Amino acid sequence: MTDSSLDAYRTWASEPLQERPRYSVVIPAYNEEWRIVPTIGAIATEMSRLGQPWEMIIADDGSTDTTVELVKDLDLANLQLLVAEQNGGKGSAVRRGMLRARGDIVLFADADQSTPIEQFGELEAKINEGYDVVVGSRAAEGAEVENKSFVRKVFSGGLNLIVRHVFRIPVADTQCGFKMFTADAADRLFRRQLIDEFSFDLEVLYLARKFDMRTAEVPVRWIDAPGSKVEAGKVALEFLRDLAIIRWNDLRGRYKSDNHDLPEPQLAATGL
Amino acid sequence: MIITDTTSSDSDGSSSLALSGRFDAHEADGFRAAVDPLVEAGTSSIDVGLSDVEFIDSTALAELVRLMKRCREIGGDLRLRAPSDPVRVILELTRLDAAFEIV
Repeated sequence: MTDSSLDAYRTWASEPLQERPRYSVVIPAYNEEWRIVPTIGAIATEMSRLGQPWEMIIADDGSTDTTVELVKDLDLANLQLLVAEQNGGKGSAVRRGMLRARGDIVLFADADQSTPIEQFGELEAKINEGYDVVVGSRAAEGAEVENKSFVRKVFSGGLNLIVRHVFRIPVADTQCGFKMFTADAADRLFRRQLIDEFSFDLEVLYLARKFDMRTAEVPVRWIDAPGSKVEAGKVALEFLRDLAIIRWNDLRGRYKSDNHDLPEPQLAATGL
Repeated sequence: MIITDTTSSDSDGSSSLALSGRFDAHEADGFRAAVDPLVEAGTSSIDVGLSDVEFIDSTALAELVRLMKRCREIGGDLRLRAPSDPVRVILELTRLDAAFEIV
């Protein structure tokens, strides 16, 4: 291990930031006791190595296992734990985390480290080019996808066709759990987000197009993590239903103003 | 994950191997297939190089613990050699750094 890298991690782990973070990394977590600690370790190491002030936010989604206790016990100075009293859906957890984030650049990343954090810099480069939203993509040319089941490939391929051609969202992979936003874009999008379930990504990207935000797609390496909670068939049906709901919400004018204020966490367990 | 640089020494019952890439649940069976024959052949001390491992998950950590216990049962030990930055931090956060001999 390089001393400078280790030192950077140790400082991040023990000394609360005295300044606004450059980066925020938001990780939604629902019953992730088996996966969350290695993911936190990998992300903390890589992000600390970048040499910029940054914070991590774990947005619990009403876990009934020991996820919350495990994260609290880590006692990391710049990790903020948002605890939900009940399960509200991945979209609700991500929204609470994104609206709590203080960084200039905000990434949300799935708790299974299926998209390795080392690709952070490739998305950030697009933000630095002037994009508002940058989407990690398993469907863009150059992406590397490992262990994805045939069923998931068929469902995602079909749904992406609908998304691109019917809803004209210019993104080939709306569901990859690795998306980056400028602070302003995150604030505007997640305050309006209404869908609390799996399809919240789709709604956020729909809103980004509606608001003429610049959106880029970056190919990523993605490894299907064992123990995925995604049930392809059920999710596909919900996805189609939510497409209709998003359109209906828009027609009713429900995206014209904020739908959420800054959420107050029930418990800020560690740090910050 | 790729397992490389496997060497065995019959004289002192030790072996060493090096891992690279991502060591997760997908790789657990392959790892077990590589190390179990060593233990069954009487190798009691195994040295696992982790300098090129970019990520290790809980299943892989459990595999290392399992191997450590097997080695100790026959009078040897498992040593983790030069873990990469993320692996070292993950070992610390899970407090397994105190359980393994890390060199």
